[in-house]
Amino acid sequence: MSLTQDLPRRLSASRGTRAGLLVLAVGIVCLLLEQSLPWLSIWPAEWTVPTTQWIGDGLGAVLDALKPAMRAVSAVLEYPMAGANWLLNTIPPVLLIGLVAALGWYLGGALMAALGFFGLLFVLGSGYWSESMNTLALVFVSVPLALVLGLSIGILAYEVPRVKAVVQGVLDVMQTVPTFAYLTPLLVLFGFGPVVGLIASAIYAAPPMARNVLLGLERVEDEVKEAAVMSGGTRLQQLFLVELPAAMTQLLVGINQCLMAALSMVIIAAVIGGFNDIGWEVLLTMRKAQFGQAFLAGLVIVVFAIVIDRLSRALATERRRYDWRIGAGIFAACALIYLVTLSSMPPVAELAWFDGAAASVDQSVGEFTRQNGAGLDSLKNSAMFYMLLPLRIGLDQAVLPFTWGFQWTPAMSAWFFLAAAVIAGAAALSGRTTLATVLGCLAIILETGVANLPWPFLLAGVAGLGWVAGGWRLAFFGVGLLSLILLAGLWDRAMLSLYLSGASVITCALVGGALGLWAALSKTAWLVLQPICDMLQTIPLFVFLIPVLMFFQIGEFSAFLAICAYAIVPMIRYTRHGLVTTPPELMEAAQASGATTWQSLRDVRFPYAVPTILLGLNQTILYAFSMLVIAALIGTTGLGQSIYLALGSADVGLGIAAGSAMAILALVADRLVQGFAKAQREALGL
Amino acid sequence: MKRIILGGVSALAMTASAGAAEMGAVDEPIKLAINEWTGQHISTHVAGQMLSAAGYKVEYVTAGYMNMYQAMADGDIHAALEIWSSNVSEDYAKQVEAGGVVELGDLELAAKEGIAYPAHVAEMCPGLPAWEALQACAGNFATAETLPAGRLVDYPADWGTPGADRMTGLGLPFKAVPAGSEGALIAELRASTEKKSPLLITFWQPHWAMSAYDVQFVDLPVGEDACFNDPAWGPNPNAVNDCDFAPTRIFKGAWAGMEEKWPAAFEILSNYTLDVADQQPMMGAIDVDGGSVEEVVSGWMSENESKWKPVVDAAVN
Repeated sequence: MSLTQDLPRRLSASRGTRAGLLVLAVGIVCLLLEQSLPWLSIWPAEWTVPTTQWIGDGLGAVLDALKPAMRAVSAVLEYPMAGANWLLNTIPPVLLIGLVAALGWYLGGALMAALGFFGLLFVLGSGYWSESMNTLALVFVSVPLALVLGLSIGILAYEVPRVKAVVQGVLDVMQTVPTFAYLTPLLVLFGFGPVVGLIASAIYAAPPMARNVLLGLERVEDEVKEAAVMSGGTRLQQLFLVELPAAMTQLLVGINQCLMAALSMVIIAAVIGGFNDIGWEVLLTMRKAQFGQAFLAGLVIVVFAIVIDRLSRALATERRRYDWRIGAGIFAACALIYLVTLSSMPPVAELAWFDGAAASVDQSVGEFTRQNGAGLDSLKNSAMFYMLLPLRIGLDQAVLPFTWGFQWTPAMSAWFFLAAAVIAGAAALSGRTTLATVLGCLAIILETGVANLPWPFLLAGVAGLGWVAGGWRLAFFGVGLLSLILLAGLWDRAMLSLYLSGASVITCALVGGALGLWAALSKTAWLVLQPICDMLQTIPLFVFLIPVLMFFQIGEFSAFLAICAYAIVPMIRYTRHGLVTTPPELMEAAQASGATTWQSLRDVRFPYAVPTILLGLNQTILYAFSMLVIAALIGTTGLGQSIYLALGSADVGLGIAAGSAMAILALVADRLVQGFAKAQREALGL
Repeated sequence: MKRIILGGVSALAMTASAGAAEMGAVDEPIKLAINEWTGQHISTHVAGQMLSAAGYKVEYVTAGYMNMYQAMADGDIHAALEIWSSNVSEDYAKQVEAGGVVELGDLELAAKEGIAYPAHVAEMCPGLPAWEALQACAGNFATAETLPAGRLVDYPADWGTPGADRMTGLGLPFKAVPAGSEGALIAELRASTEKKSPLLITFWQPHWAMSAYDVQFVDLPVGEDACFNDPAWGPNPNAVNDCDFAPTRIFKGAWAGMEEKWPAAFEILSNYTLDVADQQPMMGAIDVDGGSVEEVVSGWMSENESKWKPVVDAAVN
């Protein structure tokens, strides 16, 4: 009895239910009218606005106006570049190895010394020494640039809360609009050569620094801030002498991520050329599909990343310094080796200690493909048939005799919707009305497929989610931005991109979260995972495209794997970082009150880690969208492909429009997630 | 369209060169673009060594093939010696129109594009290399994405869709999948050879993979202009493109200021040509046998002086 009496009250109760019902209603109406009104599923070409044309024309004028000033900037930046380049290429390799090993000893003892020594020895032995030094010169100039840029942006957002939302939008845009999209204008502005790569890498590497600066500053405890105020420092003194040092751990995460991002962009400098760097070697070998050789060249970049990262971390966190005299001894020993071998040392370019290994890695990829061809094919087919295809084109088109063994019929659709309605009805009757509407919407998505969703349904969905997560403002924000994609006529391509990165983000969030948790609980696990994370983040991902292609051929499954390989890293890293940085007082309090390991994990560490984990999810979403361009190299057909088409036809407008559409999708997805997270945090009282 | 315009420009450039010329600024290096593939490295190094023999300083600059034309117009790169009409960026035409880049005529490297397959595929589709055989065995090439049609791996989308055009033109039941990059095309060839799986691919020569994976071309009806304009022409009375690929032109381009700054070098590069029969063995010596570009090209230069010396001598003396 009480059930039926409660029902009206329950139905009108929550915001989620009202939004859900509206979206569901729009979806059902769209499905019913789809046949008679085709414009519901396909936005008619006549309704589009020639945005790409406008952007192209408008930008032409702006570029011409800015060109002289930017060319001057470019000329100025060439000096530190050339200086670093000259210095690194002039120092004999053995002396540089000695210097880094000695520095490693001084900062972190035997382990760091060995890391520096063997790391650089590997680079020397690979035969890519001078190419690597060119790369290093680029990073030496771009990382300080990115750090200063990131620090300033972070401080600005912290000091002037009014601009925080805008700044975060700008950071997202910097990270998601792919460099390829604005490569043509960048080349016009800055001219040809490594400076363009330098600027591209600084633009891409600054946002992680800025975000971590902001997060770190916000988490400085109030007592610390008050102490700074009471001791009478000026605002600048408070900031630089107290608050920034107090936020040091978070800043280090930022520096680390900035370095990794800068190194991962080295490949862009190579795509432009003008600079015989290690990225160019990767491109050449990638073009020949030589995995072993591309992997070797890619590993050189990874080794740099690891050495730089570990040494800089030791510099910042370890208080202890080791005896400099032993460091001097290491250097002297290397100098001696240098003098003795001076005459017998072959030119560095002729060293090839690892070519045999590279060739055998390459052969084993071929061997593996030959041995497991059938197994790999069936793995790919299962993933395509049961996961990716239904998600993209819906059950009604994906279920065929060839894929599932039978043909999907309209009757099956009816049964499917009926079953969904029954489940949703049961949920509604048990009081979970919001869940019921969500299930209804999911059923529509699954039956129609993301790529075929009627656009009013998707817009309504975004509006509903936005309204629930962050009120009217977020709803308008999402719908407004997405409408731009519709008007620009890029909707169907955008949906293909949305489906591919959506599938990857969900996979990464689940798998990466689990791995991050594992790494937080077990030191051994982190010892294994950390180098893998470093490698995935810094090795040019072009390298992994080759084995993925060999195993699974051109297509969406390969692209999906490539995106996941890259986007999963921040999820692992941030989940672990959030969980292991619980303040010791909290842990002690939990232990004192008798909590078990699992209880303290669930009730103390996890809630404390939520903001950090969400930052990780934010990065995963942005990474997944930024990988779409690389994925287009294995033949996906979404916005990423449009960007290459634009590059090929020198169509600046199309490049920028497609790049912006990508950024819009990432931005909207991220804001919705963050909106829900904020609501959740408030509900938890955090 | 692109091809027709370029053809016109070429005809103009060819008439311009004859007789000895001034050397110009011999102290300043001439920068030649090094793009992403070995054949281009060879063509460029041969030209570079010719310029050196004439007394010029030469610098080799790595440059992305798709976006180097702005740099050429700015005078940061002075010449590119192997530009393929089949996949040249439209930026090239724009820069030529704007006057920053000029064409230096044909390299005369005879290229061929076509629908191809690794040799082992012939067993899976009896009747190959005749194109008619594909009609019957398209099913053997089908995959999850293309079913029931066969799968044709086409060029990356930004190079155009010549493979897809042939399939439509000839009415073959194949669906073209864009490859995305050259590396992806090679990986497909490699995987197919390893697994002995079926593969139909759009490919070209000269390319080192032609011999490495024993790639064969499908015989398509020999094309003529009517094939591309007149549906009635050819085996399919209702469609254009029902014939072989339009011939690819490989040509050279330079910074517009080059003729004035280094007149003799401009003439050498304008008259420079390279034969496939010469380029292909050098490619093998580098990509298959692991030689360095400089050494292989130097070796060829000293053995084949008659092929390049006259061009240098005509410009300098």
